[in-house]
Amino acid sequence: MSFLLPKLTSKREVDRAIKSVAEKVLVLRFGRDNDAVCLQLDDILAKTAHDLSKMAVIYLVDVNNVPVYTQYFDISYIPSTVFFFNGQHMKVDYGSPDHTKFVGSFKTKQDFIDLIEVIYRGAMRGKLIVRSPIDPNNIPKYDLLYQGI
Amino acid sequence: RPSCCGTWPGAGGADGVTVSPRPEHHRQTARFWRENRAEAALRERCLVPAEEYERFAQALEQALAEHQRREEERILQMAADIREAERRQRETVQAALQKYCSFFLNRTQLQTEPELCAGPSVCRLPAGPERDSPCAAEKPGPSGMLTGPDLAWMESGQVLTFIGHQETEGKGNVHTGAKPPWLTEEEDGSKQQIGPSYEEFLKHKEKQKLKKLPVERVGANFDHTSQTSDSWLPSFGRVWNHGRRWQSR
Repeated sequence: MSFLLPKLTSKREVDRAIKSVAEKVLVLRFGRDNDAVCLQLDDILAKTAHDLSKMAVIYLVDVNNVPVYTQYFDISYIPSTVFFFNGQHMKVDYGSPDHTKFVGSFKTKQDFIDLIEVIYRGAMRGKLIVRSPIDPNNIPKYDLLYQGI
Repeated sequence: RPSCCGTWPGAGGADGVTVSPRPEHHRQTARFWRENRAEAALRERCLVPAEEYERFAQALEQALAEHQRREEERILQMAADIREAERRQRETVQAALQKYCSFFLNRTQLQTEPELCAGPSVCRLPAGPERDSPCAAEKPGPSGMLTGPDLAWMESGQVLTFIGHQETEGKGNVHTGAKPPWLTEEEDGSKQQIGPSYEEFLKHKEKQKLKKLPVERVGANFDHTSQTSDSWLPSFGRVWNHGRRWQSR
């Protein structure tokens, strides 16, 4: 069962979500609705949202609407997904250089579910950074060298 | 404790192995035996015959040399392995850069000398740092690379949309530990106060005082929030009903 994921369209709405979602992982997908890889990712998010509803709340955010956040999180590639718990930004070590966000889409729904579980459990134990359970081969690689050009 | 000739064996001598002069040692041994009244028979057993000692010394030297040789071999092998790994890494990165060079040049009409990315031999990472090209990293070797080279991603098929380098004009971002946007409140028109108001605080203080009164006092469980109708009257113990007060319990 899947449904349309809710959207946040302004900085104020994003602020409110971060500050008000309690005791669950807040998932913010930064991207654009009609981008190819975003569509892939959004599909996975929508299909898993119901099963994860006890542990996670998911919102879609268009990068054009929230330049402050796009800059703050240094989002150069979309989709980029950022995780929070009780107002705290959660970092994840995916084996890639950037622990502040997940870039690209997940290979399978299970990968996303496993990641949410790990973040949830880590947050419950007071951890601010957790290690991703996803096979590093399934983590999309992107090149930071572009920023040097 | 020192041996019976009064010196530590191995004192002096560059390799730590010495053989004390034989006659002197014999005299010292004999005296030691006499002085300590040790059994004469034991002396034979305790004394290491010269040949045995010789043999031991030689074997020791051999073992030492052998060990040193093995260690050196091991270290050289490790160095070779590391060099090999670095070489393989460099080659992988070169190949990746190759693809980027051509990809990037196709996307933007960047004016570069055509031979810069003509082939793998040309797009090699510079041995010295002074050669600059748009595709090469600044430092040679894997220590200068930001991403771990892994060719598996090329098969994963995700071409991510690049939305531009995020310039913050010195404001900082998540990587530099800048203040997060959800904590920067400027345009919010509502009350800026965090926490309860002054009246709520006074009420809270009253409640704290109440906690100090005896718990079993009459009316401690008075429910102040319950609603009563207009016809409510306090219970005088059945005054308006029949019977004694205690009967109304």
